[in-house]
Amino acid sequence: MTEPSVDAGVLARARARVLRAASQPVSEPTPAGLNTASDGERLWLLPAWPDGATPALLDEYDTAPMPMDRSGQARRVLAAALRCCWTRLDDAPWPGEAVPVPAVLEVYGGMSRGDAELARRWATGELRRLSDTDWLLLDESAGVVRPGPRVALWHDDTLGPLRDLLRRLPEPPQGVIAGE
Amino acid sequence: MSEPFEPLLRSYDERRRSELVAAYMAVEHAAEPVPEARFAALREPASRRTVEAMLNLSGRTLVRAGRTEWTSGYQDDVAAELARDPACVPPAGDRAVLTLVLIHSVAIPRSTGLLPDDTWLSPHPTPLEELRRRSQLAIGELESALRRLRLAGLVAQVRADGRSDNGDAGGFVPGPQFHRLTPAARRRLQEELILAAGPDSPLAATIRARRRSRERVRQAEREATRQAARSAGGGAREVEAHVAPEVVVQGETS
Repeated sequence: MTEPSVDAGVLARARARVLRAASQPVSEPTPAGLNTASDGERLWLLPAWPDGATPALLDEYDTAPMPMDRSGQARRVLAAALRCCWTRLDDAPWPGEAVPVPAVLEVYGGMSRGDAELARRWATGELRRLSDTDWLLLDESAGVVRPGPRVALWHDDTLGPLRDLLRRLPEPPQGVIAGE
Repeated sequence: MSEPFEPLLRSYDERRRSELVAAYMAVEHAAEPVPEARFAALREPASRRTVEAMLNLSGRTLVRAGRTEWTSGYQDDVAAELARDPACVPPAGDRAVLTLVLIHSVAIPRSTGLLPDDTWLSPHPTPLEELRRRSQLAIGELESALRRLRLAGLVAQVRADGRSDNGDAGGFVPGPQFHRLTPAARRRLQEELILAAGPDSPLAATIRARRRSRERVRQAEREATRQAARSAGGGAREVEAHVAPEVVVQGETS
């Protein structure tokens, strides 16, 4: 008996999980059984879950998902980034707009009390972690940030409270939005 | 999109179907193994087989943790394939830091009887200072490696606990992903650690001998299959195509 080789489709889905939200040019073929999010140029491979479930389902079973350090702060920085990048709130947040990092830091500064310089430093670290976890796409050399591919997995019918929250956040500084 | 799951779920009524989906999402996404008492589909062997089949679609398998808890991990053959793909393997610095954590938090306590044999989780943190001294990484690189390892759940940080009597200074322990190792993966990791920590020890010699004999059995099996394929009138080329990379990997590890 030889060792069976792994089915190519199975391996492609396993690989997508290891690499989390890996991207490829839109022209390349997509493995079956995965979700995708495209910004027109690139295509991100995302997990496909049964029956529209998301990991939020774990809440109903009192089961903790993978923890994220300082999750409250990370959520606030993500909100500040979306406030800047998700310019048309009635549309979907993905793919959104790329905006300069200082704009996000300014919005975050407006949301937090205390030492503004310290807040900016913390927020810079959080942007990096949010980028590592694919919630945001951070391009440090260009100094811009935009929504990450995981945002594309949010169901539209769950976005209401987030839209309301974002409308209450400080406005992004004028003239910093890409294309303005 | 639930299309790939549909053939597996189609025959179940709505309630059973949602139990299967919940169990699948829980073993895949919970930080820790989940108790079967909380997930009906994990309690019965028949529905566990369906969860297993759902996981198999993306190269995953159910892993039992403790007597009544479950999580998921990569199937052994899939993990071996992924390990051959440079894009899927963490950078050398990250692996070095993780190895140091395993040596200090697991191998050393295990060798002195402080930790049972078949676990990769440990209450004994590796101090940051130890990682700094031994990893030979610049502090910035070490911090980046630790950030990535923590995000991946491969290490967890233990804060200094002022209450503990032994003056525990905190540090890093293996993270929750170590629950996800299959029995074969746990065994292999144990062997690798012995080969790394005591390459000249009698135990290391035994491991090498066992691997050589396993490899001889595999080669004999391959030869038998090749002959069978030839006598079946073809297909030998495909068989060769499967085994070639496997031999290369064996060569590298033994």
